[in-house]
Amino acid sequence: MSTDYASAVAVVRTLENQLFNRHDFDQLINARDGKEFETLINSKNSGNLTEVWEMLRSFAPDSKELEIMLYRNDFHNLKAVLKAMISGREPDKYLTEPSTIKGNTLKEMFRTKNTDLLPAHMRDTAVKAYGILTTTLDGQLLDSFIDTECLKAMRKSAEKSGNNFIMKYVEQVTVCADIKTAYRCSKMGKDRNFLETAICGSDELDKEMLIRITLSGTENLLNFLDSTQYYELSGLLRENPAKFEKRCDDLITEQVQTAQFKAFGTEPLIAYYIAKETEIKNLRIIKVCRECGADMETITERLRETYV
Amino acid sequence: MNSIGLALAIIGASLATLFAGIGSAKGVGLVGEAAAGVVSVDPDKFSKVLVLQLLPGTQGLYGLLTAILMLSRIGVIGGNVTELTVAQGLMFLGASLPIAIVGLFSGIAQGRSAAAGVGITARKPEHNGKAIIMAAMVETYAILALLVSILLIYNIAI
Repeated sequence: MSTDYASAVAVVRTLENQLFNRHDFDQLINARDGKEFETLINSKNSGNLTEVWEMLRSFAPDSKELEIMLYRNDFHNLKAVLKAMISGREPDKYLTEPSTIKGNTLKEMFRTKNTDLLPAHMRDTAVKAYGILTTTLDGQLLDSFIDTECLKAMRKSAEKSGNNFIMKYVEQVTVCADIKTAYRCSKMGKDRNFLETAICGSDELDKEMLIRITLSGTENLLNFLDSTQYYELSGLLRENPAKFEKRCDDLITEQVQTAQFKAFGTEPLIAYYIAKETEIKNLRIIKVCRECGADMETITERLRETYV
Repeated sequence: MNSIGLALAIIGASLATLFAGIGSAKGVGLVGEAAAGVVSVDPDKFSKVLVLQLLPGTQGLYGLLTAILMLSRIGVIGGNVTELTVAQGLMFLGASLPIAIVGLFSGIAQGRSAAAGVGITARKPEHNGKAIIMAAMVETYAILALLVSILLIYNIAI
């Protein structure tokens, strides 16, 4: 029985007290003015996402599972640098942090065509993505291709790690991404070639089957989802796609909450990182909604479930 | 004087100290790791996590107590060494095994339990007592083993 990361988990448990819970978010929503809002935000300061990542990484420098959490940022940055370079712009302002590959490394890689600068799971994607953009100039196809390759890389690394927790997390992320892509593609009438690139496929939703049903129309797709365990998501897609997005995030939070019962291992570290991401998303939602003058009910409806 | 019998009894005393000590060292070390993590963020919780860290330390003390009683019984402590047959030596060796083996495993298990309890103290300090009780439950089996070892030591006819 492993007792890895006992110290790191204890730190994370202490820091979890600094995360915003539902009550804290309610207070933020009800803040009388900007000053009170800022005071409430500053009362809980557990660092930004990059600081959190650096702390977690210092605790578990050899953890491959933890690294998977940054794949999405790395692939996003790959996309951003490639697009910026093709259009002759500086990519820096489009880059997302934290990431394992720095923007300059990505620029250098495209300039020198030396894919060895990238980790193994990104090399093929970089070469193919460059080919797609230079031959088709189709930004949407490029986005879909890289997003799908990212999911594939996450799934491969999760399976390689053998960690059930991270495998379930990646499965959940993939299913939500595939349903969203299938729904949008069916609305936009995308063809099979595009769907082949844009849909990743998962254990729960077979790629070929999903493509076939997506091509048969939106209503068929939603009817199909009604017959699966994701019937709740299809109902939300019919009702309001924003609610679907929220439910996808909530499903991930519910799944990672199981890490609260773990005293050792990387699971609580991964869960804390995801909790921090969700917290940042919630703070952004509240801030934007307040600036737009949205009512309390609207803000509350959009808020994601909290980890603590 | 049968030195083999005495040697077996002394090996028994050593095993009690050795294995129970290893169990405690591993347990205390593990809780110490977790406790250091909490204190690095919130130094005010030092006293609460210290109690949890102390819990797996008792097995080592039980091993020491068993060894002292055994050495005292065979006269190694006190300078009046008793002559022991091989059978008597083996009996003393056998008497040391309950605390040696249970001390090793319960020390490690209690360490895991107390380290998990550090997580409770970190998240909900007001429930620290529950974490202590849960870790202390493991102690029962170390005490039972100590009791059996002591009973055996005092009931071996020499």
